[in-house]
Amino acid sequence: MTTAFVDGAQLMATALGAPGYGFAVIDHPIASATDSELARKAELTVTQAHQLLQPAVRRRP
Amino acid sequence: MITVLRPDYEQTAAPLSLTRRPLTLAGATIGIVSNGKANSRPFFDHLEELLRRHWHVADVVRRTKANYSAPAERELIDEAVRWAVMFAGVGD
Amino acid sequence: MPLTAETLAIGDDDHVQRVFLERGWTDGLPIVAPTPERVEAMLAGAWFGPDDLLGVEPVKARVLTAEKAAINAVMAGCLPADFPVVATAVTALCRPELLVHGATASTGGCAILLVVNGPIRQELAMSSAHSALAGADRASVCIGRAVRLVLRNLLDVRPGELDRSTLGHPGKLSWCVAEDEEGAHPWQPLAAERGVPDGVSAVTAFAASGPRQIMNEWTTDPVDVLTTVVAEIKSTMLHYSIWAGNYAVVFPPQLRAVFHGAGWSKADIRQFVYDHAVVHRSDWEAVGKAAVVSDTNRDRKYRALPSPDDLLVVAAGGEAGGFAAVIPPWLGPKSAAVTEPIGVCVDC
Repeated sequence: MTTAFVDGAQLMATALGAPGYGFAVIDHPIASATDSELARKAELTVTQAHQLLQPAVRRRP
Repeated sequence: MITVLRPDYEQTAAPLSLTRRPLTLAGATIGIVSNGKANSRPFFDHLEELLRRHWHVADVVRRTKANYSAPAERELIDEAVRWAVMFAGVGD
Repeated sequence: MPLTAETLAIGDDDHVQRVFLERGWTDGLPIVAPTPERVEAMLAGAWFGPDDLLGVEPVKARVLTAEKAAINAVMAGCLPADFPVVATAVTALCRPELLVHGATASTGGCAILLVVNGPIRQELAMSSAHSALAGADRASVCIGRAVRLVLRNLLDVRPGELDRSTLGHPGKLSWCVAEDEEGAHPWQPLAAERGVPDGVSAVTAFAASGPRQIMNEWTTDPVDVLTTVVAEIKSTMLHYSIWAGNYAVVFPPQLRAVFHGAGWSKADIRQFVYDHAVVHRSDWEAVGKAAVVSDTNRDRKYRALPSPDDLLVVAAGGEAGGFAAVIPPWLGPKSAAVTEPIGVCVDC
C-alpha cells in the first residue's frame, strides 16, 4: 500500500470484515519513481512483510 | 423532540476468517498480483529478486489483474489459494 | 411492514442539522429531517415496502433497501413522487457492469450522471431546457442529491475515506438530466435506443467525468459540428484518458436543428464519432506524455469508442446557443453505462 491509500485500505478492510488487517506501507507515488527508488521501496516491502508474517515464519540466515 | 431515522448502513460485515500463516517460506510458492499500473512491473521485479534471494522460495508467480479498479477475477483468486503468501497492492 | 432503521431522538431541527453533519451523514448542505412519517410517505410514493430490496452493491456486498434509500431521499429534499426515480437509480448503481465501487473510490474523481427518460419527466416537471446539465429544476437537483447521499451513507463514499478522488468535479453534488424527447423528434430517446419500450420511464446511470463544453454555431453542416465534437474527444483522450469507453454528447435545440436539417439520426452521429475519434500513442508526445511513448508502441491506434453504440447521444439544453457538451467516461472500459426501467421489468 502506498501512503496515499492507507486510509482507504483500512476502511475497506473493516467494510469486508477484517478490521486492523496489517499491510506493508511504502511512500507514494510509484508511477513517477526512479528505479533506485523502486528498489528501495521493494526492500521496505520485504522487511515489513517479514514482520507481518512473524512469528510464524523464520527467515533463513 | 424530533424522532429521525439513521441514514447510514447499520450492518457490520461478518468477520473474515484468515488462512493460517505459513511456518516457513523456504521452498514455497509466492504470488505477486500487480494492478498493472505504471512502474508496477519494475517494482515487482525488484520484489521478486529480493524474495528469491532472501526467502529461498521455490517459485514466484507473477499475475496482473484484468481491471485495477475491481476485485481480482475469480480465476486469479482460485489460483492464489495454492500460494503460500500473496503480495498485492494499491498505489499509483 | 414497520420501519427498521435505528431511531434517534433529537431536540429540534437545528440539533438534527448539527448531529447529522457531525456524524458525516450530510454533504454539508441542510437536510430535511428524516422522520418516520416522511420516510413512510416517501416509500408510498413508489409503492415500496421498507424492506424491499433495491439491489446489492457487489464489491462490499451491501444490501440496499427501499427504507434506507427513502431516508436519504427525504434528507435530499425529494418529494414522494421523485422516489421512483431515486429507487431505480439505486438499483442501477448495483449493476455490476457500472462498477460503482471502482468509479466512486477512484482517484479519477468521476460523478454518477443520471439521464431520465419517459413520462415521469413531465410528472415531476423536470426541465430539459436552460442549464440542463446543472440544476435545471427542483426534481433534478433533489434526485441527484439523493443518489449522492445514498453513495455517502450506504456505500461510505466520503472524500478522503473510500472516495480517493484527487479533484472530483461539481457533478458529484448532484447530477441528473432529463432528456428533451419532445423537442428532439424524430430522434429516439436515449432509453428507447437502449432497449426500454415506448412509454416506459427509465434512468440511465453513467460514471462520468466533468462535461467539456464546445461551441460551433457558425455552420449548418453536421460534419462541421461533429468535427468540433471529435476534436474535443481527441483532446480529452490525450489530456485525460486514452482508453475507449462510453462517452456522452449533449446537443441543444440550435445544434439539433443542424442534424435534423440534414436528416442525420443519432445513429449517424454515433458512426461519425466512432470513425473519427481516433488518436495514436505518438500524439502523447505533444502533450507532455513522451515518457510513455516508445518505438514499440508509438504507432498504436486508440479509438474513443469500443463500438458506435457506446456513444450516448442526449438531447437537452436551452433554445439558443450553439453549444454541445462532451462528457467523457471515468476511465475507458472499466465502467459501462446502465439503463433501468422505472416500475417495470423489461426483460423478465
